[in-house]
Amino acid sequence: MKLATKRIAMGGEGGQGVQSAADILAEAAYEEGKEALYIPNFGIEQRGGVSLAFVQIGDEPAGSPKFKQADFVVALSGRSLERLIGFLWEDTIILYDSAWLAPPTVSDQVVGWQSYDTTAPDFFAERGVTDRRQKFPEIKQKVKNIFALPASEIAMEKLHPRVSNVIILGATARLTGVVQLESIKKALENRLASKIKRDPNLKILNFNALELGWEAGERMLKSPAYSAAT
Amino acid sequence: MISKLETKKDEYPRPVEGERQAFMYGNEVVVWAALAAGAECLYGYPITPQNEVMHYWSRLAPDYGGKFLQTEDELSAGFATLGGIMAGARCFSATAGPGTILFQEPLAMAEMMRIPIVLVVQQRGGPSTATVIYSQQEVFLTIFGGNGEGLRIVYSPGSHQEMYDYTLKAFDVAWKHRFPTLVLGDGYQAKMRERVLLYDPAARGMEIEPTVPFVGLPGVPGVDREPAHWRNAFSVEEELYEELEPIINDYYRIAPSLMEKEEGYLDGAELILTGHGIVGRAVRTAVKELREEGFPVGFFRPLTLRPFPGKDLIRILDDCPRLLVVESAQGQLAKLIRISIGGELDHRVQMYPYFRPGLGISAEELVEEAKAILNGKREQKQEKEFSMSML
Repeated sequence: MKLATKRIAMGGEGGQGVQSAADILAEAAYEEGKEALYIPNFGIEQRGGVSLAFVQIGDEPAGSPKFKQADFVVALSGRSLERLIGFLWEDTIILYDSAWLAPPTVSDQVVGWQSYDTTAPDFFAERGVTDRRQKFPEIKQKVKNIFALPASEIAMEKLHPRVSNVIILGATARLTGVVQLESIKKALENRLASKIKRDPNLKILNFNALELGWEAGERMLKSPAYSAAT
Repeated sequence: MISKLETKKDEYPRPVEGERQAFMYGNEVVVWAALAAGAECLYGYPITPQNEVMHYWSRLAPDYGGKFLQTEDELSAGFATLGGIMAGARCFSATAGPGTILFQEPLAMAEMMRIPIVLVVQQRGGPSTATVIYSQQEVFLTIFGGNGEGLRIVYSPGSHQEMYDYTLKAFDVAWKHRFPTLVLGDGYQAKMRERVLLYDPAARGMEIEPTVPFVGLPGVPGVDREPAHWRNAFSVEEELYEELEPIINDYYRIAPSLMEKEEGYLDGAELILTGHGIVGRAVRTAVKELREEGFPVGFFRPLTLRPFPGKDLIRILDDCPRLLVVESAQGQLAKLIRISIGGELDHRVQMYPYFRPGLGISAEELVEEAKAILNGKREQKQEKEFSMSML
């Protein structure tokens, strides 16, 4: 069953900023007058562990806070993607942080219906033979697209390690098409208001990260893999 | 004279002026509703998933003259709340799970002594510590959890808007009728963030019953005024019965005016879906989807679980005696329904259970379940036996 509402499931390790990213995305949609619902998956862990967030954005209020099938699965770690496998269906687009997660191996079984678009192939070439990244979990469900974005690496090299989630947020926002860039900026600024007051550079840093992610998302939408699946 | 808690409300701004759109967490909504209703003090003890009610209250309330005390446990929180209320202050509390169990003693005392109290319950998984996440397993606890007759009013909202509306209303109803009034939320509603319209009840012409001190009244008892007897202990059976009978009569006299529900898509319905709280919302969404696909289904969503709007359900089931009962508990709502429809109708109604204790329920899965029932894929006899034995 396809609902007009876009359902986004995000996952990462505790501290990677998944909840902030999801919350900001929902707030941006609310600011645009859309119906948005955000709920964290919370357990008894005080820190660490897998952190999941669920966002629904559409014209109608969401029917229930959680859902069975996600239109977008955003994973910042291997363990969190494992927890989100149950949300995959044929229309799911997966976006993952390829600085943490090794790209999936294409087996015979999957050729023809899955496509992988690694936005920065050069980056991996420089890594040498030892790939210390987490293994991409085995996915049996056919999905629409899988996109890689080495957000943590980009953040580390170009900006600051702490904004990798904002890069992912930018790419997610563009890919899902649920909000305008300006709205995300506004929501981000609201969220960081007190911190920006102390350090005005934080605003520029976060906006740069957001734009980098947004542009990456733009490239994914224009990729042959995306148009082939749509 | 023991005056109201030493708050100076008049010197503080109104918490909500006119109307204001907001994008909020459920626990935050509870706090804004309590502030808008003029609540003055929260006594509480932390338990997930209601902790943020205390966090937001202790952060926001001082700006509006509100006070906060963290007690040593929920028993203490409940009795301290009752004490504050007897002194004439508008006090309230919030809890969940095992905390709701400890609250039963103060709630039962409130029933006996006709003390108005508002308690917000954000259900978590049970029994025992179970999960800190979500369930609908505290229905019977909120309604019949005390040693007594369940002389309480229980609202079950399904959105942040209803959470705001009914928390506001609870403060009016509790003080107007002097029965414990509970707002039964859940971990999902507590932790999710969505749109809500906050409003000043006064700006909408909504009056909230004022508070009055029950103790420390002026004058000499027995000379200037009737002495007040606030008793929860009696030495003779007849004495208790004499005291209790008018309370019970009062409750059932006002009950019909308190019942609330939402229903829809009943025309030509061949299956009625029912659920309360956040599940009622999934039920409504599923029915809308199913109708758009041409399936003849309707929904009934009780907004008060106590008193239960049974008469409305009986009217609906008279036309369509097939009912899919959906809940994140093992038949607590189903039991309430069977009690309220009772007798002959109970035998005629085909009840299909969809019980998921402690587990969230989405509109998507209800669409599938309703289709399966309508397509005859749920063996009726088996389902009937199942539902009977599982209750």
